[in-house]
Amino acid sequence: MSAMQRQSAVGKDVEFERIRRITGYLVGTMDKWNNAKKAEEHDRVKHGTR
Amino acid sequence: MIRSIIKRDGRVVLYDEGKIAAAILKALEAAGEGSAEEAARVANRAAHQIEQACGEEPPQIEQIQDAAERQLMECGHEEAAKRYILYRANRTRIREANTSLMRTIDEITNVDARISDMKRDNANIDGNTAMGSMLQIGTAGAKAYNAAYLLTPEQARAHTGGDIHIHDFDFYSLTTTCTQIDILRLFHGGFSTGHGFLREPNSIASYAALAAIAIQSNQNDQHGGQSIPNFDYGMAEGVAKSFAKLYLRKLQEAIEDVLNSEDEEDLARRAVAAGGKKPQLERDAEDYDAQVAGVLAADGRIDEARALRLVARARQRATRQVDRDTYQAMEGFVHNLNTMHSRAGAQTPFSSINYGTDTSPEGRMVIHNILMAEDAGLGHGETPIFPIHIFKVKEGVNYNEGDPNYDLFKLSMKVSAKRLFPNYVFLDAPFNLQYYKPGHPETEVATMGCRTRVMGNVYDPERQISYSRGNLSFTSINLPRLAIEANHDEKAFYEKLDRMLELVAQQLLDRFEIQAAKRVYNYPFLMGQSVWLDSDQLGPNDEVREVLKHGTLSIGFIGLAETLTALYGHHHGESDEMQQKGLEIVGHMRDFCDAKSQKLKMNFTLLATPAEGLSGRFTRMDQKKYGIIPGVTDREYYTNSFHIPVWYNISAYDKIQKEGPYHALTNAGHISYVELDGDTANNLEAFESVVRCMHDAGVGYGSINHPVDRDPVCGYVGVIGDVCPRCGRRSGEAISPEKLEELRKKYPSVPVFCGCE
Repeated sequence: MSAMQRQSAVGKDVEFERIRRITGYLVGTMDKWNNAKKAEEHDRVKHGTR
Repeated sequence: MIRSIIKRDGRVVLYDEGKIAAAILKALEAAGEGSAEEAARVANRAAHQIEQACGEEPPQIEQIQDAAERQLMECGHEEAAKRYILYRANRTRIREANTSLMRTIDEITNVDARISDMKRDNANIDGNTAMGSMLQIGTAGAKAYNAAYLLTPEQARAHTGGDIHIHDFDFYSLTTTCTQIDILRLFHGGFSTGHGFLREPNSIASYAALAAIAIQSNQNDQHGGQSIPNFDYGMAEGVAKSFAKLYLRKLQEAIEDVLNSEDEEDLARRAVAAGGKKPQLERDAEDYDAQVAGVLAADGRIDEARALRLVARARQRATRQVDRDTYQAMEGFVHNLNTMHSRAGAQTPFSSINYGTDTSPEGRMVIHNILMAEDAGLGHGETPIFPIHIFKVKEGVNYNEGDPNYDLFKLSMKVSAKRLFPNYVFLDAPFNLQYYKPGHPETEVATMGCRTRVMGNVYDPERQISYSRGNLSFTSINLPRLAIEANHDEKAFYEKLDRMLELVAQQLLDRFEIQAAKRVYNYPFLMGQSVWLDSDQLGPNDEVREVLKHGTLSIGFIGLAETLTALYGHHHGESDEMQQKGLEIVGHMRDFCDAKSQKLKMNFTLLATPAEGLSGRFTRMDQKKYGIIPGVTDREYYTNSFHIPVWYNISAYDKIQKEGPYHALTNAGHISYVELDGDTANNLEAFESVVRCMHDAGVGYGSINHPVDRDPVCGYVGVIGDVCPRCGRRSGEAISPEKLEELRKKYPSVPVFCGCE
């Protein structure tokens, strides 16, 4: 029996990955962003194209 | 009578007046006045002063130094007193650096990176791992040393006080920022990584593998990113070599199908040799193949019509195969750059590739396949973080319908709408077009992914090229602080700005002095393997000073929007008047850089700073210093360079129109972003209209942001709100293995959970 089958559930504590661009580079998870950059990302508004 | 003194750490030691005299003598000598007798006299007076003040109590070391200072002044040695004070201040600075260094190392060692902001300074380093922590400890040590020993007190004050930010300060004494690696020149004749020699590659697979190794090797010599300016032109050579080999092999196989003899290989070789040169993808195909078929027919065993069919089939199979090989090579390249490590194993190299303008069949094959590999993503469909892809847009090459690479430009937008890359560099922007010479790809502006741009060259005006050059170092100015301090007085602001520009220019020159005094052996790959322009003319023990002058010294800035708000009440997104004021400020800084460049014949350039570590640092300090000023210090960060604030409502097109003119002024690099929501990003028409708007508005470099989320459990890629649209779980929630199995039947991309099977 595999470890996965033994588990009654998978994905606990596995967070969604949210890829964002930070100063030109992509970052796979915002865990590693510093606080100011997190705040900046939070404040971003979308730009309309009409 | 003084018998003992108390040192700073509390220890009591025997008093020795000779030591005071020695320190005073040093100050006198530095000032060019006085003698040993005079030093003894001043020391004696100081001792007397202390006795009067302390009686029988042992004095503190600080009291003794105060007394020495005072007696120097009273004896008329003002200059020496000044030296003494400076020396004391310097020692204090070093002592404090040591204490704070120990505290910093303590934090690196014991605090979780998720809590420690400092450990998340560079998002590419995992501060929770052994190698990541080791790197951070090294960084902390180097910073403390550099601040204490390498900066002038004025520079140290400006840097630690937040007037300026010296980027990559940990590498201050060690190396330079970045390079555009001319991959063709590096490959010709082979190269050495320092651990072994690599022969000139002979197939697209090895071209791509060695390109990744070149980036990795050079990354170990520099603190910034690494870029290939000619990825398409470079890899095209590998495609050509692979095709020539495949053509021969497929021809041999085709002959084997019809002849049952032992000499097919020999016959195939003779036939291809008759072509006079190596077989090429698409070009001269008909003539070439006819000649090859002619040799086969002349052999007598295959008739002419059949020989022609056979050669055509061989060509078709070779073409198909080289396309597949190229895709695999590109896929491997992307995978490599996301997994290979550099810098003590703690970081993947910061890598960028520029492409889009090579119109040869081989170049087009490379561009097509690197885009397809990016589109496919990594093993579980993850969006690749590296390399940054930069598509070079050029009218007549790929921008308009009918241009030879128009199809690839279209494809690039489809990929970017899904994966965030490529970004776009616009060769038609006037400040880029002025360097462009058709047929000379080295005159096409390429960019380091983060934004660094190196083109003009006052040191060597014959070499205004992107290849083999890069930035040496950059320092950014805290513009909003100057505006706050100017207190709505424009003239005062410009005076402060001029002083700050001078300070930064001098600091960049001081740093250059350290970089330039290094030898070729200090940069074994960058200089030793002649990656840098003209370094092939240097021997291993030569100083790199002159060739480094091809690089740039850049002055950056942050927070134009907050600066305008502090000075005039609102920012450039809000009125055309402020746009004018903004352009004047940035234009003023550019003029300063141009004048410095002309005067010193070195490349001073103006940078729209990529402000990773900086974002927040300036603002935190200014909040403490000036309190919360609405529109200026009321957020946790200052706005990037000349950007319209991220929180300000503005249409994509208006934002681009506002930011475009600043691109012309920031010759050290710039980038404009537009944020689209997930649906617009998948609307290719809207996506393209934004890219075209950038092209027309004189933007030099731009990219479009949109959310790219992924659920690692079920493998869904797209926009995820609170709940995953595929498996229905929330972030961090578990789902049952049965459900996952069910989903796998419908979506083959559902990953197999590692470590579970």
